[in-house]
Amino acid sequence: MNILFVMKHRGNAGNTHAVADYMRVGERYGHRIAMYGEKLPWLPELDFSTDIDAFDKVVYLFESELYRVNKLQEVALLGRFARADRLIFDMDGMYNPLIHLDNYDRNHSHQWERDQWIEFYDTLADKVMKPTIAAPTAPNVVPLVFYGYDPSLEMASKDAPEKVYDILHVGHNWWRWKEIGGEVLPALEPVRERIGEIGFIGLWWDKPPVEGPEAGPWQAFASDPAVVDRMRIKITDAVMYNEVVRTMSSARINIFTQRPVLHHLRHLTLKYFEIFYADTIPLLMLDADHAAAVYGPAARELVLPGRVQAKVLDALERPEHYRGVVEDVRRHLAAHHSYERRIEELVAAMRH
Amino acid sequence: MKLLLVTSVDAWTRSVATIHHYAATARANGHDLAVYGEPKPELPGLPFTTELSGVDMALFVMQVPGDLPDMPYLARLIDTVSRKKRAVVDLWGRYNDTIRLEHDFNHLEKLDGHLGWEWEEAFRAISGTLLQPTLSPLRADVGSFLFHGYDAGSVVRSWDNAAAAASAWRASGTDERPYGVMYVGSNWQRWSQVRAFLEGYAVRREKVGQACLTGWDWGERPNWAIDKGLAGIDTDPGFLEDIGVAIGQGVRFDEIVPLLSKARFAPVFHRPLFRHLGFVTNRSFETFHADSLPVLMLPRDFVEAVYGPAALALVPDGDIGAHLSDTLDRPERAWDALLQTRAHLARQHSYARRFQELAAIADGQA
Repeated sequence: MNILFVMKHRGNAGNTHAVADYMRVGERYGHRIAMYGEKLPWLPELDFSTDIDAFDKVVYLFESELYRVNKLQEVALLGRFARADRLIFDMDGMYNPLIHLDNYDRNHSHQWERDQWIEFYDTLADKVMKPTIAAPTAPNVVPLVFYGYDPSLEMASKDAPEKVYDILHVGHNWWRWKEIGGEVLPALEPVRERIGEIGFIGLWWDKPPVEGPEAGPWQAFASDPAVVDRMRIKITDAVMYNEVVRTMSSARINIFTQRPVLHHLRHLTLKYFEIFYADTIPLLMLDADHAAAVYGPAARELVLPGRVQAKVLDALERPEHYRGVVEDVRRHLAAHHSYERRIEELVAAMRH
Repeated sequence: MKLLLVTSVDAWTRSVATIHHYAATARANGHDLAVYGEPKPELPGLPFTTELSGVDMALFVMQVPGDLPDMPYLARLIDTVSRKKRAVVDLWGRYNDTIRLEHDFNHLEKLDGHLGWEWEEAFRAISGTLLQPTLSPLRADVGSFLFHGYDAGSVVRSWDNAAAAASAWRASGTDERPYGVMYVGSNWQRWSQVRAFLEGYAVRREKVGQACLTGWDWGERPNWAIDKGLAGIDTDPGFLEDIGVAIGQGVRFDEIVPLLSKARFAPVFHRPLFRHLGFVTNRSFETFHADSLPVLMLPRDFVEAVYGPAALALVPDGDIGAHLSDTLDRPERAWDALLQTRAHLARQHSYARRFQELAAIADGQA
């Protein structure tokens, strides 16, 4: 089956990376996966196409904005792919009731905005896929994790870069500060002298987006530069998707956080998986049951909430123990979340 | 026939006058016609709908990308009205190879962000019935459908004979007819033709009366054209001032014919692309509604084919000034040509006839 993804492609974003994985794995099974658009010189390994007749199905992948191709392209796609051949992936939980979590994260700012999204989705396709392990919330909603795990991408210790960080967080500051500034950093500050370099790699940790309010609600980018400075946290710009694992591997510990609304909806993201490719000890800001559901029971050992300081220090002191835990998780991921399985699930969803 | 017109309508631009004629003709002939979309209070004469059941034909009237509806209306339309009940009338020649003539073009990415293949793919996705407003489409898979038309009921002042018409025209004073020449249309790829006309006019301007250009951007070359490096939107304010040409801003569609009627002469220009493609426009016919003598600045073979042989008398034979001056001296010949041409247009290019042509196209699709 030939599947065309219509999505906003950004070299430093997880969904682009995931589709790149689909391209790679799909080829082995005789499927062609491509993104709609002209070839981009800075993403040479990605298959882009505007030859819509070469595809059987189209997948519209939406994040936190209704990514739109231009009108001429839009009508060409709508005319080419019948409604039954279109599928939506709702990556950021927009196809849900209005959710506001503790006056902080939310899927929509207003009910009218939510209604527009629902109308848009319902008009475009019959089925909405969600990358979640939660039960479907409506008859037309299909949980499909979307992201997968490919053991061949695991970075061996011998190939890993030198460990220049003790702790690293790779990801943008997009609805993260409540967790980072509210729990992680306060727990580490008292023991800061016992920890080596701490790095945050991604955008908006030290300042909000230059676009201003157009980029999104200010709470999403909130941070405290004074704390960042006081704790000597090294801020570095985002890296391209194909550099993420190597970058993570430059730290003994990587801290995983997830946007609260997506955690609430039990959405999985690419980061759930790629952090386990890295030669590092992932420590997870997830509740233990959810971590076990995704990663298997061994992952309970890696969760941080309520014990950040103790867990970080323990991981730094007993790395071999944690490497064993990580291996258990990797085996679970390979068995339950392979891209082969994901491709099968995607193709099956397309056929029904 | 239940006809759905899919296009953007704006009181100031493009085909809004023609769309109004379609609506009026539908009402008069028992057809069900609406423009797809939500009502526009500023256009009370147009019926709008988002109801898609029972549509016999959805005619996509395409000029600019914005003629396509926004989402989710677009998806509803494509998913509800089957492809065989859809047709595209390509009013700006998009469905062709890329054409460059003088400074004119049918595709220009730096203007609207679209390459030629995007237009072609979009049109093919909408329908297999692709139409252009020309008697001779360049491509074999394009049909001829002029779309625009002539409405005898819209003629400002009807005459039984040329002598009476000419007499009244000659006798009209400056209160009734303050201009010698009126051109209504925006400055878009027409300057070379307009300038040539005005140079000829200037020789006899004292006799003819003041000329007026009404439309956007005649007073100065607009900044957006400068910024984009677009040629063809040129003007010469000094020249226009020297020959006393009045400049007016753009007007609503329903002010155009009354405005044309304020002058003795109303020239008709087609941009180079349309001349090449043999396209008609709304103004090709609408000018004949005005109480003014058209001056057809168009190829003679095109004039004969569209307007009929009598209209050749309305085409200047090289010397614009002489044409205007001679017509002022002996207007009966021109009025006779105008009345014959109006009769030809009423027979050949009425909106009722356009509906018949559309019905035949729809039957062919069924």
